[in-house]
Amino acid sequence: MSKRNQNKNHTRAMLLALVAVPALFAVCAALQMRIDSDTLLMNQDKEELLLQSGSLLKKLSLGYEPLLADIYWTRVVQYYGARARKQGATYESLWSLLDITTTLDPKLMIAYRFGAVFLAERPPGGPGEAELAVELVKRGIAENPDEWRLYQDLGFLYSIHLKDYKKAAEAYLEGSKNPNAQVWMKVMAARVAETGNDLETSRLIWTGVYSSTNDQQVRRTALQHIHSLDAAQGLKRLDESSEEYWRKFGRFPTSIQELRDTGLVGGSLQDPAGYPYVMGPNGVPQLDPKSPIVLDSDQAAEQLR
Amino acid sequence: MSVIPGVVAINTFREAVRDRVLYNLIFFALMMIGAAILVGQISIGIERMVIINLGLSAISIFGIIMAIFIGVGLVYKEMEKRTLYSLLSKPIRRWEFLVGKFAGLLLTLVVNTALMTLGLGAALYFVSRKFERADATILVAVYFILLELALVTALALFFSCFTSPMLSTLYTLGIYVAGVFAPGILSVSQFTSNWGLAAVTRFIYYLLPNFHNFGVIAAAAHGDAVPLALIWHNTVYALLYVILILVASSAVFSGRNLK
Repeated sequence: MSKRNQNKNHTRAMLLALVAVPALFAVCAALQMRIDSDTLLMNQDKEELLLQSGSLLKKLSLGYEPLLADIYWTRVVQYYGARARKQGATYESLWSLLDITTTLDPKLMIAYRFGAVFLAERPPGGPGEAELAVELVKRGIAENPDEWRLYQDLGFLYSIHLKDYKKAAEAYLEGSKNPNAQVWMKVMAARVAETGNDLETSRLIWTGVYSSTNDQQVRRTALQHIHSLDAAQGLKRLDESSEEYWRKFGRFPTSIQELRDTGLVGGSLQDPAGYPYVMGPNGVPQLDPKSPIVLDSDQAAEQLR
Repeated sequence: MSVIPGVVAINTFREAVRDRVLYNLIFFALMMIGAAILVGQISIGIERMVIINLGLSAISIFGIIMAIFIGVGLVYKEMEKRTLYSLLSKPIRRWEFLVGKFAGLLLTLVVNTALMTLGLGAALYFVSRKFERADATILVAVYFILLELALVTALALFFSCFTSPMLSTLYTLGIYVAGVFAPGILSVSQFTSNWGLAAVTRFIYYLLPNFHNFGVIAAAAHGDAVPLALIWHNTVYALLYVILILVASSAVFSGRNLK
């Protein structure tokens, strides 16, 4: 074939490629979207872990277990992130994933610390497996006895999720013995032992969680709880004023404005999301139905009482 | 229509047979016989599932190894042995040569896969003494493996047009692995708050050949039906992607100075 013919063929092939390749890519991308919905219908991504044994995976990893642990931890974050706060979400594989991660790399602190937060979170935010979370943190302490932060996490789990204030105080106290521990660990030990789960103590614990991490997922969870506690505190204050109103006028106020007009309450009467509190039946103040804030179940129960 | 690609394809198939490529079937047969005998002794209730999982995974792995290692040498070997020069001096267009090479290797893989499927069927019959209606999904899974192999072959051929077999192997394998984990790439775009990263990962997701689409081995093992729409969409997807890669390969190969 002559050089001229070859050049001509090359130009023709290049022109065809320049037009056809982007066009075909676009069609393939459109098709991929259809395939994504097909596979969604098939529900292929069932909760399924082929290898559930961390020690077997450790043997199979051929010495690369820290890398494999990192990959599994990434899976934990993606797994939890894809389900958190979704109604009806299940977390069947969360414990197995964490178990594998920490078996592969027993020094991976983040897996114990945040894994416990994920595990203990009540539905729909998590599986509500506080006992397993305690087991995970205890395993972390056994592997890393010098990490005082793990005692903080243990105290957090006992006080917030299991309401076992004696054990929580013991955990905070044990952690405070570490020379590197922050001074407030002793304060927490005393405070939890003394007051149990009042709103201020809970807020202090969640603030500790919030400020001890840069992880966005954990910070978001902690912030939700802080907002929820602040809202509960605001409602409690309004409820007390409503009782005061009843004592003064012999009836409950019908609106927050009515309460404000009497001078029994003042300042900003909004929840942390910026929605004004509203007055419910029998003078019980409530959150605006449009507010994104959700009261924790025990705070809601306390409110009901 | 030109018969040249067909002639090149038949010759490529013959060459593969001469190179004893199909000898891997002996290893596959031994493995399936061993598994069929052993699995009954060491497990309860999942014999069929193990045979299906093992068989389909082996068909896929063997096929991918063959597609990559033979595919990356398809053009390069012809240039090394200088047989390409005498071939192209005849009235054969370069794209016809490429299409023929692709079809020849695909034919080899189809024959290899068909024989392995027969072996899997035999092992399955040995274990459960019957075939079930749900076993039809196994054939769908095999078909999807073939679509996957067609894509891998096209990719290997593409790299074979302009680089060495070593690098072609790495590139093809890299794209294959990335394509298998494509949903992981997409999930990055869903979880990140950085819109730039989200846009880039979404773009990469749609750009890569998505090998995750063809993974129905678990469905086959559990006897779950595969929707017809998925079979149809995957077929068109693989076909278009193969055409895309072959067009790009032709463009690259037509510009190569073979002197």
